[in-house]
Amino acid sequence: MTSPSHPLSPALPRWAYAVALLALAVTWVVLQENGLALGHAAEVVHEFFHDGRHALGVPCH
Amino acid sequence: MNSFRGVLLRGLAAGGVAGVLAGLVGLVVVEAPIRAALAVEQARGQVGDGHEHGELVSRGTQVVGGVLAAVVVGVALGALFATAHAGARRWLPRRSPFARSVALSAALFGAAALMPAVKYPANPPGVGDGSTVEYRTVLYLGLIAAGLLVVHGAGVLAARLAHLAEPVRFTAVALAVVAAAVVLLVVFPAGPDQIPADVPAGLLWEFRLASLAETATLWLGLGLAFGLLVDPATRRTRLTSA
Repeated sequence: MTSPSHPLSPALPRWAYAVALLALAVTWVVLQENGLALGHAAEVVHEFFHDGRHALGVPCH
Repeated sequence: MNSFRGVLLRGLAAGGVAGVLAGLVGLVVVEAPIRAALAVEQARGQVGDGHEHGELVSRGTQVVGGVLAAVVVGVALGALFATAHAGARRWLPRRSPFARSVALSAALFGAAALMPAVKYPANPPGVGDGSTVEYRTVLYLGLIAAGLLVVHGAGVLAARLAHLAEPVRFTAVALAVVAAAVVLLVVFPAGPDQIPADVPAGLLWEFRLASLAETATLWLGLGLAFGLLVDPATRRTRLTSA
């Protein structure tokens, strides 16, 4: 089914999935990180992006 | 050779544009109710909540951070969107790249923003209960994941029904999507929090509507910008080499 060149959507290379994972991780850090990955620094991240988290509808304290 | 790299770069650019637009909507529309909600929170005197705002980061910096959050999330979603757009061959295969992009962004807005906004609406600072935030996050992300499955399922169903005339197929898929969305909204448990009595209903409504305006700007802006960048009809690109 994956014919090599659909004119509208080029075949996805392997590294595309790595990029997608990275993008998910970035989204996580901005919108969700509360200490799981960054420990104490997460508090600063949380407070810095606090308005954005609320504005984008993410659950928050 | 049409490369995914070019598509990805367009996704990042479109995400950046959409993020800036959403950030501006946040600045102009969402900041006012946030400020009002912070005033309500402050009037409480804050007893032992452990979540003093503006202690680690000043209020002005938080406003900048609010805009920046939209930009960074926009760029990240742009990368994911480009990947989904390239990978979703079943998604409206005969339409133009622009129409596919706009339709996909509208579907993702529905799954990732509108559905959670209906079931677990956005709350301004001073409303959420700190002790339930993890449960609320699980519900919120779970509903988004389920919504994305519905979007995926709609593409699969449309491909399965390819033998039907378009109006019939469209109606069948739309009915299935509505039914699935209703089931999800009913099946998912209600959010655990009560709205504190000192938060005016008008303020809550204003904030939720403003938040929806920001997420709509983010998603639809992403679909429009990516569609414009990726469609050979608006811009001569090497994507047309078939």
